[in-house]
Amino acid sequence: MSGARRTRLMENFPHTYYVYGITLHSGIPLSLPVRGYGGLAEIDLRMAPASFFSDAIAGVSLEQASGSWYQIGRLADGSSYMRWEHVGEFLISGDGRRMSCRQFDRATCESFEVYMLGQALSYALVGQAFEPIHATVVVVNGEAVVFLGDSGFGKSTLAASFISAGYQLLTDDLLILRETHGRLFAYPGPPRIKLFPRTARRFLGTAADGIPMNRDTQKLILPLDRRRSCSLPVSVKAIFALASPREVFRRQPVRLKPLSPREAFLELVKNTFNYRITDGARLQRQFTEASRLVRLMPIRKLSIPRNFSELPSAREAILAELKPQQLEALACAD
Amino acid sequence: MIHPFTFRVSVAPDVLFQVMGEEAVMLNLKTELYLGLDAMGTRMWLLLTESPSIQLAYDSLLEEYDVEPARLERELNEFIDKLLEQSLIELGPGELSTSGMPR
Repeated sequence: MSGARRTRLMENFPHTYYVYGITLHSGIPLSLPVRGYGGLAEIDLRMAPASFFSDAIAGVSLEQASGSWYQIGRLADGSSYMRWEHVGEFLISGDGRRMSCRQFDRATCESFEVYMLGQALSYALVGQAFEPIHATVVVVNGEAVVFLGDSGFGKSTLAASFISAGYQLLTDDLLILRETHGRLFAYPGPPRIKLFPRTARRFLGTAADGIPMNRDTQKLILPLDRRRSCSLPVSVKAIFALASPREVFRRQPVRLKPLSPREAFLELVKNTFNYRITDGARLQRQFTEASRLVRLMPIRKLSIPRNFSELPSAREAILAELKPQQLEALACAD
Repeated sequence: MIHPFTFRVSVAPDVLFQVMGEEAVMLNLKTELYLGLDAMGTRMWLLLTESPSIQLAYDSLLEEYDVEPARLERELNEFIDKLLEQSLIELGPGELSTSGMPR
């Protein structure tokens, strides 16, 4: 980094954080790790007044994103604007290097950060040629175990059951994967998990520390301490795609099924985090990335009945599934 | 629909294709549609898009698979129909078949 850029950053962005393998230069304090790995990319984050956003989107038609409750607009210069009522608004430059944000009056900092570091940040990540994945990840024996799945498929609940058994969370909802020397690495997200109060009480012992995500849901944002979250990139051990609740019968046992490379590819594409950006370059990159990922790592389909009492056996099934590979690795080391 | 077997099949522009083991996936960048092919579909796609005519692809499939000629002809036409519907292929004049019996 040049001396001039360092000086400018210190003046405008006095806070530096590390999340998803990215260095985040921020004009505002955030509840993110101040130490960690951030070598994949850099993003400058600043707060801006209401007039900045109203000027930027003058004449831009906003559309309601289907299946979601945020509005989005694409600006002529390639920037993306998004707005969540009662939470905040964001403008992301087309190259993904700059994010401008405004927190609305009634929003909590925690809620604002969830949207900023989730959906809004995903535009910056895609702008910088990353392919964010919709997944929650836990760390088992120092390696990442990935759960792919759409909202409501039970990723966070399954992760909470792992946390209750003493394992750490790596990321909840958004995952960045990168291949280094033939190994796949998963990068840590913000140290928090989003759960419904009943799930939080069941697995984390308390829901008192949780802050509502927004006023239309009961879902809580629960910060996790260092004992329960991992802030370092870890290599990926296994990827499981959670079956849709509609595919799982309440009384069936926990099931694991290997997916063919074709099925695994389609699961990865289905679980892309940001599917609003669909220009040709992005789609080509997504196609190439998913093809490469499938060659690196098999994916198994995991069907779990929607019942808390089934989660310990799901956890045990996953842990048992990891063991043969661990034994193979040990045999190779010998 | 019955397609002239003297025609050749070419992959439409803006279509990405990737073989994965015996299966394959493809993406049409124009329609933003992803598609998966099973082992049989992948073999049909490869022969169709690499052969100088549909007839030659048909001849190869007839040799490879234990299938009634009429049934293969029907299934090949249906497969080509589906690919055309999704704008994944284009048809154009091909070269004469080895069997000398263009349809």
